[in-house]
Amino acid sequence: MHLIIRAEGTDARAVSYLLAKNPNNLYDRDEKGVRVRLVYTVCTDDEVEAVLYATPDPVDLVKGSPDSYDITQYINDREFVVSSLFCTYIRSALGTALNGKTKEEYLPWVTHSFPFTLSFGPVASNLPDAIVEQLFEPLGYKVELERGVADYSFELKSRSSVRYVTLRGEVTLQQALRQLLILIPVLDDYKHHYVGQDEIDKLARYGEGWLDPHPLRELILKRSLRFSNIIAQFEARLRREAALSPVNADDGTDGQSMADGEPQTDGEPRMGEEPQTEEQPKIRLNELRYQAITNLVSGLDAKRTIVDYGSGEGKLAARLSSVEGVAEVLAVEPSAMSQLRAIERFDKLADHGQKVVPTPVTGSLFYYDETLRGKDVIVLCEVIEHIDAPRLNKVMDTVLNEYRPQTLIVTTPNREYNAVYEMDQSMRHNDHRFEWTRGEFADACDRWRTSGYTVEMQGIGEEVAGLGQPTQMAVFSRREEREQR
Amino acid sequence: MMNEDTRRTIRLPHAGIVLLMGPSNSGKSTLLARLVEEGVLLQTEVVSSDQFRMLVGDDVYIDWRGRPKHEADILYNDYQRISEQAFAAMETILRMRGGLGKLSVVDATHLYPDDRRKYIDLAHRLDLPVVVVALDVPEEALLKRDAGRAEPRGKQRVKQQAHQFKRTVRGLKEEGFDSVYILKDAQLPELRFERRSNPLLKEIGPGIDIIGDIHGCWDEMIELIGKLGYVPGEEGLYLHPEGRKLVSVGDVMSRGPQSIRTMMFWQQHVEAGAAYMVDSNHGWKIARYLSGRDVSLSHGDERVADELAQLAQEHGSEAASQWRQRMSHFLLEAPSHLVFTKNGVRHVVVAHAGIRDEAIGKQSKRISDFCRYGDTDGFDAAGKPVRKEWYAHHNTGELIVWGHDPRVQPAVVNHTINIDQGVVFGGQLTAYRYPEKAFVSVQAARDYSEAADNPLKEWARRRFSPPNLRRLIEGYSVVTDSYGEVEVRGEFVKAAIDTVSHFTVPIEELLYIPPTMSPPAVSEDEAYLEHPREAFAYYRAQGVQTMVAEKKHMGSRAILTIYKDEAAAIPYIGYPSAGSIYTRTGRAFFPNQMEHKVLGQLQQDLRTSEYFERYDTDILVLDAEILPWNLKAKELIAAQYAHVAEAAMLDRTKLLVKLKEAQAAGREVGDWIEEGERKLANAETFGQAFQYYCWDVDELEGVRIASFHILAHGGETFFDRTHVWHMEHARELAGCSKLFMETEYRVITDAASEEEAIAWWAEMTETGHEGIVVKPEFYRTRNGSKLVQPALKVRGRRYLHIIYGMDYLEPDNLKRLKQRKTRKKEKHALLEFALGMEGIERFVRKDSVERMHECVLAALALESDPVDPRL
Repeated sequence: MHLIIRAEGTDARAVSYLLAKNPNNLYDRDEKGVRVRLVYTVCTDDEVEAVLYATPDPVDLVKGSPDSYDITQYINDREFVVSSLFCTYIRSALGTALNGKTKEEYLPWVTHSFPFTLSFGPVASNLPDAIVEQLFEPLGYKVELERGVADYSFELKSRSSVRYVTLRGEVTLQQALRQLLILIPVLDDYKHHYVGQDEIDKLARYGEGWLDPHPLRELILKRSLRFSNIIAQFEARLRREAALSPVNADDGTDGQSMADGEPQTDGEPRMGEEPQTEEQPKIRLNELRYQAITNLVSGLDAKRTIVDYGSGEGKLAARLSSVEGVAEVLAVEPSAMSQLRAIERFDKLADHGQKVVPTPVTGSLFYYDETLRGKDVIVLCEVIEHIDAPRLNKVMDTVLNEYRPQTLIVTTPNREYNAVYEMDQSMRHNDHRFEWTRGEFADACDRWRTSGYTVEMQGIGEEVAGLGQPTQMAVFSRREEREQR
Repeated sequence: MMNEDTRRTIRLPHAGIVLLMGPSNSGKSTLLARLVEEGVLLQTEVVSSDQFRMLVGDDVYIDWRGRPKHEADILYNDYQRISEQAFAAMETILRMRGGLGKLSVVDATHLYPDDRRKYIDLAHRLDLPVVVVALDVPEEALLKRDAGRAEPRGKQRVKQQAHQFKRTVRGLKEEGFDSVYILKDAQLPELRFERRSNPLLKEIGPGIDIIGDIHGCWDEMIELIGKLGYVPGEEGLYLHPEGRKLVSVGDVMSRGPQSIRTMMFWQQHVEAGAAYMVDSNHGWKIARYLSGRDVSLSHGDERVADELAQLAQEHGSEAASQWRQRMSHFLLEAPSHLVFTKNGVRHVVVAHAGIRDEAIGKQSKRISDFCRYGDTDGFDAAGKPVRKEWYAHHNTGELIVWGHDPRVQPAVVNHTINIDQGVVFGGQLTAYRYPEKAFVSVQAARDYSEAADNPLKEWARRRFSPPNLRRLIEGYSVVTDSYGEVEVRGEFVKAAIDTVSHFTVPIEELLYIPPTMSPPAVSEDEAYLEHPREAFAYYRAQGVQTMVAEKKHMGSRAILTIYKDEAAAIPYIGYPSAGSIYTRTGRAFFPNQMEHKVLGQLQQDLRTSEYFERYDTDILVLDAEILPWNLKAKELIAAQYAHVAEAAMLDRTKLLVKLKEAQAAGREVGDWIEEGERKLANAETFGQAFQYYCWDVDELEGVRIASFHILAHGGETFFDRTHVWHMEHARELAGCSKLFMETEYRVITDAASEEEAIAWWAEMTETGHEGIVVKPEFYRTRNGSKLVQPALKVRGRRYLHIIYGMDYLEPDNLKRLKQRKTRKKEKHALLEFALGMEGIERFVRKDSVERMHECVLAALALESDPVDPRL
């Protein structure tokens, strides 16, 4: 990871004054275990070029990281690419240039624009070339991008995933460096630390004067601060400062505290109850499903004990536990991650004084759990389509023949309805192993239905002629019980 | 009167605790000295409080009488403290001796119930008999003897003790002793003392034939003992010409058709010394019924009553009553278990429903109950006892043979064998021959039980049922043949269940998770992190003479199950299938279509080359590496390895140009340039390293499967073979199909072949290959009783760049990396190795899916316990 600062023209030598580094000496410092070096390749009256590079310790870099047991940890681009880490390493080497507090005699150069060529890299960014250009062009730079070499003995990738950026433009050194310290992390889209007050401060300070009018301001904020609540804090601070100028950077907030303590995630969409392609209708559909199931359960005679199988984060289980006449809801889920969220949700219910709170249970449809026998209701809400079809028959056999609930409620997507969504993929969710038409689901239910059960097919959601409703629901009821009543 | 035979005889137990009781001077020590002299007791079996007072306090007695009060107080206090410690020490010794099944005779006054109580409790805790021998001596005699002593206890104390003796001796019989002997002083010379031998110990002699639960299946029993070589003699006894004896694990009656006849058989044979039979749950129930207790008969016991009624009808009630008496006596006397010895060493233990190690050779009510019913853990919803796995904890080395709990096949687990194959339920009657260690069995003519809950049918029905979650989820243990008990913790089991619920192939197809493999200790050579020398040294230190070094492929691990045809899968997994190919974490290796093609091709090739016929098998299970690496790992390679290589090359190339410019401009950056050049070379090496393992594939074209472990054929595993056999078999497979490839290997037997293998490794790894795997000659190898590492991987210097990063060989980095720890990895490797073999064994035995899955799930659970993945 390196940065080359080059200036040409009659005043070029002044850049070395601003950098406050003697061209005849080597700069070689240890910044918390990272070796930071600076050397001039040339320093004449009309040509100055300084090369600044950092060498992190590859072994140290991965220490204490939460995924330190990831095999790829030592094979890590953090050691090479420019990132927020790089910015941290070089900040003190560039201290004088950044704060402009140089010797009296050089002060006029602080506000002087030089014709700069700034080169840095490698960059690992998921932003397309056009966006990278749009990040720098509004700031007065000409942008040149260069790709790494990706020449392999077998078919692997069409081009390299690293780039090298060269910027040319007339700006002050201070401004150029401040822009880089903000925009390099924006390019990189990876943070090595929590987003907090420090980031807000940095953005406010270094972004002053150029960030506000930037056409991609929103993108820059989002990629710098990531979380909407932190972005909101930042905006609030700007408004406050506008009202209270002159600005006092130390406004009394604790710079060390993290905005909300939420750790950085890698931005991967969470596998959850929401299919990916139908964002708008989906949220409503989930709600409709919960309503439909809750209403159905409310109307049952036997509903004291309920099992929500594959309960995920526990939304439906929470609903069901508030139904009058329900005494027990077992929220059965194999995923520890989902269950943690469910537990938080249930704890809140308890705090709010709800009488019946779901019980989280680690469980799985592929095992037999004797504690689930003989319950009044078992719900499989949007669960079966996540199971490979060959495994499903056995699962349903266990539920209907071993657990034998009074009522079994099964919901699953109606594939016919997908036409309404104009989807660009074959199924509503990456993890769906199948999606069935109404006919296919009805056939399957008929196959699963064992002695003593009747089954009734229903739909949930807005109906479209010929396509049915987005969600289909099967309700299995135990016949003997009915006859007894 | 003085005739030897008519002298009253006191029989002391073979083990346990004997309390002597009596005031000072009553002759306890004298009696014991006599018994030692007569050889009835060993001197070491006698423990006395005096002996321990000496041991802890150097003196038997402290006399405080006649001292000034303040001195007397101190001396008395000393005496009390010494006593307290002496008794504590004595109790410890008694507990230890008892635990080892020894007899201890305690020589002390034991005049107060509390003194005796603690020994009674101790004996009960140890499941040992406790006996009291009280010496009743007249007060005058006591006083006289005391007066003659060197250190008399004094009149007052003697009188007091004599008085206490009289008072306490009356209630002695109610205190819980197994025997109480109150001996008058005058009687002593006329009494004979003897030791009982342990009634549970029997000699194996020419051999024993242990028969499983018969349950009145007379015809099958007669057929079986005929097969075993027993012939009927004159008195209706079946005797073996070589003098072998029959042993029944009990439950000879009930449920089946001819209980009375079968019971008679065993009663006569046991009485004649031609057979043994242990107690059992049905036996005990019937015994109490026959002796007139009020018991309700069920679970087939009622059929004995029916037979008895018929007997009475046919032969009159007198005959029936006689029979009743004889049988009840026989059954009530049946020992809880039997221990068969050879050269005085315990070899085989026979117990109906099992036994705990510490109970072997002992008798108590508690042990009898355990041997009858096993380790029950309450009752299930249907009222049937839930059985705990007592055999998991067996580690004293004897072979325990038991019945009680019907299994389809004799179940050999952890040096225990279940031989109840449910003949009465239409299964088989099994005999286990010792010392031959052979099974002989007879198929039942039919299901006699007419029970609704036929355990064999239930087992068959449940074989493919989903595993019982509650038994697993909070952590559990698997008893493996190779390692013994392997325990896994709940937190990791939960993670594994999560994996199985979301990602793996169906549970019944998930047979085996390949064990992790450790590298050897770090190299002593400063240029290397890993080197074959350390692997060879490890095996030599474990007593392994011959090793096999196999080329390690860099691809993706895969477990392949290939059935002869789709129908062949049904007996194994319950539905038709061509087979499956899954990764080391249990996920499907290929997308559906591709898997179908690969399996189809393999099936066809194996059939064409008549592989299935040649080995008379309908299934082939392989542990293999599938190449190339990019087949499975393309995304990872592109996003991680290639990406990092590109970044490093770009960074280091550009930088080096600039540093050279700086040098040309007169800056002193010679060192920086040298470092830069070295690191650029590292980046180039790194960029090349992974490309060795990648090439383009087009459908099946270019896909290579290098199998290195032949895991199973139908009904057969190969864990007792050598790795040379496995390698040669893989070569044979490569001859059958283009998809298979053989693997290069070397056999190491001496220093020369070791050097040759090292040269081979060095050359191979310098051209970029991953490295070698060093294995002991035999698949499953032990050093003494301990399993040795099944394999150690030795990776090449070049390859390790992609594991430890491109600059790992920088001296400072290497030094730190050499501090790596492999202990946990090695431990996991052994556990997973044992679990892997156990799972496959259970699979080929067509054990239940649950029994197979508990092995697989445990291996997955161990894999969720984090270990440094670079190892």
